[in-house]
Amino acid sequence: MFDFKLTPSLQETQQETEKTRGRVYDLIVLGGGPAGLTAAIYAGRARVDTLVLAGSLPGGQPANTDVVDNFPGFPEGLEGPELVRRFQSQAERFGCQIELEEVVEVDFFSRPFTVRTHRATYQALAVIVATGASPRRLGVPGEDKFFGRGVSACATCDGFFYRDKRVAVVGGGDSAVIEALFLTRFAREVVIIHRRDELRATQIYQEQAFANPKIRVAWDTVVEEVLGDQTVSGVRVRNVKTGEMETIEVDGVFIYVGMDPKTELFAGQLDLDEWGYIVSDHRQRTNVPGVFAAGDVQDPLYRQVVVAAGTGAVAAMEVEKFLGEYPKSRIDKDVSTACCETEL
Amino acid sequence: MPLLNEEITAQVKEQLSDLEGPVRLVMFTQEFECQFCAETRQLVEEIAALSDHVTAEVYDFVADQNRAAEWSIDKIPAIAVIGAQDDGVRFYGIPSGYEFTSFLHAIKTVSSGRAELSTEGVQALAELSEPVHIQVFVTPTCPYCPPAVMLAHQMAISSPMVRADMIEATEFPHLAIKYEVMGVPRTVINETTHVEGAAPEPMVLEKLQEAVQGA
Repeated sequence: MFDFKLTPSLQETQQETEKTRGRVYDLIVLGGGPAGLTAAIYAGRARVDTLVLAGSLPGGQPANTDVVDNFPGFPEGLEGPELVRRFQSQAERFGCQIELEEVVEVDFFSRPFTVRTHRATYQALAVIVATGASPRRLGVPGEDKFFGRGVSACATCDGFFYRDKRVAVVGGGDSAVIEALFLTRFAREVVIIHRRDELRATQIYQEQAFANPKIRVAWDTVVEEVLGDQTVSGVRVRNVKTGEMETIEVDGVFIYVGMDPKTELFAGQLDLDEWGYIVSDHRQRTNVPGVFAAGDVQDPLYRQVVVAAGTGAVAAMEVEKFLGEYPKSRIDKDVSTACCETEL
Repeated sequence: MPLLNEEITAQVKEQLSDLEGPVRLVMFTQEFECQFCAETRQLVEEIAALSDHVTAEVYDFVADQNRAAEWSIDKIPAIAVIGAQDDGVRFYGIPSGYEFTSFLHAIKTVSSGRAELSTEGVQALAELSEPVHIQVFVTPTCPYCPPAVMLAHQMAISSPMVRADMIEATEFPHLAIKYEVMGVPRTVINETTHVEGAAPEPMVLEKLQEAVQGA
């Protein structure tokens, strides 16, 4: 009944030392999920001097995933944390330095590029942005006020606190339905609030949900406000077809309405599309020569571990090429103009 | 039957192979063992067997109440992770699931005696003139929880004024109710202020200073 997980966060972080101060890395990888760690594996193996800034929650989304069932080579599936732990030890085997630091600022205007964390400032000739995506919020009144106190984005974390209570799950995709099913272990009633008239989730999960007597679905419905005084007492919802407003009484709200790319730090420096994803070409290049993007941060469509890993590998191979063409001695004067002429 | 499977055992052994100093895992249970007390004791004993630097000491919360008081243990199962001195690092409830990572991290950090905080963080903690008690509520299935626990424990290791507890909420439901825990991680500082989620170091520091000033 007990399991014991060793997540990648066990890696020891290092203080700013003489070694890192004033040092210019070949490559800094921002992000410690499948894309970032695969980039690190490829770069490290190609003897590119690489620093990975993995953030305080390393491992990316698989670190929060029970089982990854579709990563090739693991016919039985594998626990998400274990999968990324293996990614990480592979990157370390090739000599990559991995720090659990959260990036607070980047400067891609001047070279070498500068990346600041709340611990230290680092510089590199090339950067791979693989910061991934984070759960989208609803953006309605009451949501922020109650986040962590009745509004949650993690059913496996917080389900326990809703024993014999009523909860709402907002969303209609796989995550929403899987977590609604999970919550029936604790809650006495689970209301899935979905803006359309059919679920987007895989058929097998839909069937399980419809067969579960604790689950009901509020169709064509969106949340307008999370209600409550000290604790959550309900949600005010609107039927998108009839316009009718209604209050659903619940003690907790779990939000699974998709993901947003983590790109706030790059606005104004990298080209973003209208949804905030980094615009990259098929060689994972961004609009700034020497800055590449990989994984979910530039992928609104697939968001799979294997795809993220693939784009990470491409980005690292492109970095190698970039560094070959523009070695340290030339990078300041030549790169800004010259490499923009290479065809996309 | 061992709690740790062969694969995890091998990883733990490797993680503990470069410990710098001795670590005592001071564990409190009682004769009629509480929920998960037996497993917590077994976990501590299994881990101690994997490193020459780690020793397990098991005490009875009732029979050894003086010792419990000495280590400021007020509920069980409890583990005090003790290095060269007592840094105030405690685990209440079994550190299983994702919290196993926090537990090994605590052993390693206590062993080295070096917390990994920012220069500003170390400085702010050094200026504390009154005691700070940090309680981090977690569930074993919460991937966001270990960073909050590890940060709190590092603050305890960095400052003699700070002690920090991991509290496994499902084993202490009355405390979850008392501290209005509806989501984890929830970090409660000196009973007065709290932080939701795996907040970065500067934010927790700010709340900590708020708690001290508000007192």
